Amino acid sequence: MKPRKKPEKNAPNPFEIHINKQKMTVLGQKNKNDRGLPGVSRAKALKKRKETLLQEYKLQNKSNKFTDRRIGERSRDLTSEDKLMARFTALRKKAHKKSIFNLADDEVLTHKGQTLAEIEKFDDPRSDNEDSDEDKSGKLDSAFVGDAHFGGGVLRKTGKEGAKTHRELIDELIAESKKRKAEKQRTKEATLELTEKLDTEWKDLLPLVSRAQKGEPDKGAVDDYDKVMRELRFEARGTVSDRLKSEDEVAQEEKQRLEELEEKRRERMRGFEPKTQKHRSADDLDDDVYEADPEYMLSYNTEGEANVEIGAEINGKTVGGEESDEEEECEEEEEEQSDDDLADLKAETSDESDEETEAKATKTDVVAKTDETSADLPFTFALPDSYEALQQLLDDKSSRQQATILERMVKCNHPSLAEKNKNGLGTLFVYLLQYLNDCASEKSAARLFEIYKSLAPHIFDLAQLNKENTHSSMLEVIKEKHDEFKKRPKDFPGLELLVFFKLVSLLFTTSDFRHQVVTPCFVFIEQILNKCKIKSGKDIAYGIFLVTLVLEYTSLSKRVLPTAINYLGGILHMAIPKCGVKLIKVNPPFKPTTSSLVLVEKSCEDCDFKMEASDLERDEINDSFKIRAIYTVLRLVQDFDNNLVSLPSNVEIFNDIRAYLELLPTRNYPKKVADLFESVSQQLKNRKVERKLEYIVLAAKRPKALRLYEPKIVEVFDGKKRKIQSREKAERDKLLHKLKKETKGALREIRRDKAFLGRVKIHQRIQSDNERKEKVKRIYAEASIQQSELNSLDRKKKRK
Amino acid sequence: MSNQEKPVKISKQLRLKAHEFLSSRKNSEHLLSIVRHFESGADLSSCLLTLELIFTNLLKDRDMYIEVVPLKPIEKTETNQYKEWLRNLYENCFSKILESFENDSNKIQIQGLSTAMNIISYEGKFPLENRGNLECYVPLNRLKPVLMKLLSNKHNNVHLINKYTEYLLYSDILFFSWKLLPSLTAKTNPNETYIMNYLRLLEKLELRKPDEQQTLCGNETGDFFTFDESVPLRALNKVWHCVMLWEHSPQTHKQLLIVLLERALPHLEKPLFLTDFLMDSLDVGGPVSLLALQGIFTMIQVHNLNYPNIFAKLYSMFEPEIFHTKYKARLFYLSDLFLSSTHLPENLVAAFAKRLARLALIAPSEDVVIICMFIGNLILRHPGLKCLLNNPTEGTASSDPYIMEERDPVKSNAINSSLWELKSLQQHSIPSVATAARFINSPLPTIEWDLSRILDETGDDIFDKEVKKHGKLIALAFDKSHDQILHYWNI
Repeated sequence: MKPRKKPEKNAPNPFEIHINKQKMTVLGQKNKNDRGLPGVSRAKALKKRKETLLQEYKLQNKSNKFTDRRIGERSRDLTSEDKLMARFTALRKKAHKKSIFNLADDEVLTHKGQTLAEIEKFDDPRSDNEDSDEDKSGKLDSAFVGDAHFGGGVLRKTGKEGAKTHRELIDELIAESKKRKAEKQRTKEATLELTEKLDTEWKDLLPLVSRAQKGEPDKGAVDDYDKVMRELRFEARGTVSDRLKSEDEVAQEEKQRLEELEEKRRERMRGFEPKTQKHRSADDLDDDVYEADPEYMLSYNTEGEANVEIGAEINGKTVGGEESDEEEECEEEEEEQSDDDLADLKAETSDESDEETEAKATKTDVVAKTDETSADLPFTFALPDSYEALQQLLDDKSSRQQATILERMVKCNHPSLAEKNKNGLGTLFVYLLQYLNDCASEKSAARLFEIYKSLAPHIFDLAQLNKENTHSSMLEVIKEKHDEFKKRPKDFPGLELLVFFKLVSLLFTTSDFRHQVVTPCFVFIEQILNKCKIKSGKDIAYGIFLVTLVLEYTSLSKRVLPTAINYLGGILHMAIPKCGVKLIKVNPPFKPTTSSLVLVEKSCEDCDFKMEASDLERDEINDSFKIRAIYTVLRLVQDFDNNLVSLPSNVEIFNDIRAYLELLPTRNYPKKVADLFESVSQQLKNRKVERKLEYIVLAAKRPKALRLYEPKIVEVFDGKKRKIQSREKAERDKLLHKLKKETKGALREIRRDKAFLGRVKIHQRIQSDNERKEKVKRIYAEASIQQSELNSLDRKKKRK
Repeated sequence: MSNQEKPVKISKQLRLKAHEFLSSRKNSEHLLSIVRHFESGADLSSCLLTLELIFTNLLKDRDMYIEVVPLKPIEKTETNQYKEWLRNLYENCFSKILESFENDSNKIQIQGLSTAMNIISYEGKFPLENRGNLECYVPLNRLKPVLMKLLSNKHNNVHLINKYTEYLLYSDILFFSWKLLPSLTAKTNPNETYIMNYLRLLEKLELRKPDEQQTLCGNETGDFFTFDESVPLRALNKVWHCVMLWEHSPQTHKQLLIVLLERALPHLEKPLFLTDFLMDSLDVGGPVSLLALQGIFTMIQVHNLNYPNIFAKLYSMFEPEIFHTKYKARLFYLSDLFLSSTHLPENLVAAFAKRLARLALIAPSEDVVIICMFIGNLILRHPGLKCLLNNPTEGTASSDPYIMEERDPVKSNAINSSLWELKSLQQHSIPSVATAARFINSPLPTIEWDLSRILDETGDDIFDKEVKKHGKLIALAFDKSHDQILHYWNI
């Protein structure tokens, strides 16, 4: 009976359907709103309003209301007895509610009719899976199904036809399935029994089997011939090798390698600058592009822009094919678009480099000298197993001996000699960092830098051998130091940090636009220079060291760190004698009143005026320190200015320093310092005079490429056009659209609510009017009856 | 070990004594001994707890309540005498408890306050006198000394006032605190400590009734306490007149402005009277003038104040020192509000952009990022400023036409300049800053940058972000050539 109702519900009265006209039909487009049921939806809305808005309206201006919470009070189809029963059961239920905290009287839990405790004995090894597998076959067989279900029996004529009623069929079905299940169960039990039996028997047999195996005789002795043959077969064959290169060729290759590396470094330094595009004529066939980038198909979007940067430089093709995968991934990133520098690794740390650099010269020099001094050292060194071992080895040795030890250690354990050496050298690198760190706290600054200088070339070589390790361990060290600094941001950190910063500039290319180790160092240095309070001479020296490092970091890339220049200005400000009430402004962290670097007496000292390592330790400020500090700062100012001359705001950057230089008296300083002073201030003044500022003009928009007559192919076409815009903008547009839609919807709802309430009110009004009319009518009627009675009485009286 | 055990023992002993006293009237000498122990000044916190226990229990059992029948002298029975004695002791002890507010240890101060408030709560529930028809009774003669102690002119009571805030959640305490406040306000010049305490308390006092209707002194029967919202308003206005007349040190001046902005300003009857005060504060400089600026902004916005020179004032606040104060974020937020109007003259806004750009040349990197976005937003709002990025004449200049030293932004000739500073900042060492300054190279977006996201960023955040950036590229130096540091250092 019930199923008949369903189709009725799905198919509404055709007179109720309203079909929305479509202006044009699009094939394959599905429209949700092509037909609607205005009557039904209106009735629905009305019902909803009656339930919500009308109720609210009725309760308007009323402070409270009654709600009847008695069970069954509001449902009409319960008799009073039923209600009583329901309430009674609810009461009982409440009384029987079990406490969840009472763990003692638990119910016994069962699974498939067995208690859990019973199941947990696990004496039946069969898993549930097997069961379910067998269930599959426990179903009715297909013949029966074909016969009994889907009206199968109707078509076939058998002798028994008509004899079976539906009832019988069902009964038969049940009986059949029960029988099958029982059979299954029986066979299963039988197999289980048999398996167990087999197991026990096998156990008896087991000792016999093992004895038989032991008694087997050895294989016959290997024939000499076979042995020789095998040996010959696996012997390494000579491979075809390149001919030995002449010295010229080696030098040539080295030069080429360095040039390539330099080119790549420059690319990284430029960072975000757009790549210069090669000119392409309109009928360029793009042959070379396809050759360069087989992974990309050139295509154009609706704006006519290509997805591949045409004319992008083909990176590292000449270096070697093995890194080509990485290259392609890298190219997608705009900022770090250079390929992996694996070529660095290949470089043997040989001394016959084409360009004899200064550092290398000194290194060979040192090695030559050590030959005499460290004759008593052993020639081979094993890699230290622990940090303490290394410390023991290096302690109490002169720096030359230390360098020799390290050199021999690296040579003896070169990664080409054994597989594990690479990791061992990595740990050695970490230990050396730790050693430098400890030296800073134990030894004097001069000794620290001496140790650093002797170890540096070897650390450099070590770093080249295992560069992932170098990278991660340096980054870890910097992070750790920064965490320490965060705890006391007003104090200058220890000297070891200076050594590490110096090491960073030695090991990494500091000119990169963004470098994973160097960039955090920049941030760190900036924070130190910005936040730390300058209290003594060593703080001044520390800052000057950092500024020098900044210069070294940026000498190639010509970048600017304003804080460093601000620091130089602050030091110069400290040397200006402050007289009178007029304050000379200076930027924090410097204070406008400090004048600890003012030189009071005339000094004629003459030397090279370089800063000393011991300055980093001394608290008090003497005249020699004052002169040296000012001299170094002036030289730094000069070099920074030369470095940053290309910046359009160069003059503004050095504004403060120019002002301070004018206020700084030079008469007390030695001649060399005074001369430098003159030249620096003249240089800064000239910059202002010679300045040529070009007004900023936005680059003219490139003409759009013509649209190609190529069909635009979309993978899944859904009949919608999609705008190409940024994610934020798309989100904003979507939200705006939603807002508009919601506002409209809300307004419509409010309008309808108002109409509904109006209808309710007018209805009430009409009703009350009708009531009043009725009442008046009734009163009139009563009055007229009264009058008539009165009249009739009067008439009767008159008659009398 | 013994030191550890001692206080535990003593507090146990005291509690034992208290229980014995409460169980029988005969043990009254126990109470006396506890009081003596308390007066001796040892083990204050356990003494306080014990006294609290005793008096709350006495109040609950009405042991100190003397029945007063009108027009009849009190009978001189033994019980009444005992009660009289207890009451005297109670008065004494309460004042002693209040003295613990001046103790050196914060812990004992706070303990004292909570004891006092607990006793007040019990006395409110079980009053000592016939309370008549009052719906809710708060013993004002107890609450007033508490407030007086809080507003001490000797001690800095930050902790106590913070603790007292917990009690201000009860609507009755809040209400009566407001009611008592005018009488406790000093009429003449008080000292600085008093002012600080006073302003701190004032900062904590809510003007509206708390959301949950809770009373400290009401009993559980559910007497409704009616919170008349006009009383606090009247009290505030009355008090504020006095507060304004006091002489303020720079510290209290700042606190006063904070209280004014966060609490008082929306509720004052005639806020325009404050204009002079705010103007004077504006000239003080530093954080005070920033706060005053915020006040003036509210006045302009809500109370229709007309102040012609406001932009020059704002302009003069952008000094290099601002990057090293705590109020930097507030300044950026406020100036963003001020400059959000699109009806400002272009040369004025250009002056702001140019000045900020100049400051960016010396600012710490986290601020440079903010400044770059700020300037970008200014240009987005005022399309006329695009000439700073795209000069129509395309020539060269020998110097920047903008005059940094000019105090009037309109006369600074910024509109004829270009934002060379941002061009220079593209060469900043820190890549995130360099990228932030890059926006001038490409056409501007249509949506403004969201400043609030980055206003609170610090250098540490930049460091962490840079450390977390993982690239596959590992770039090592390939020559050991540059050792520039040796030119300057003998190492």
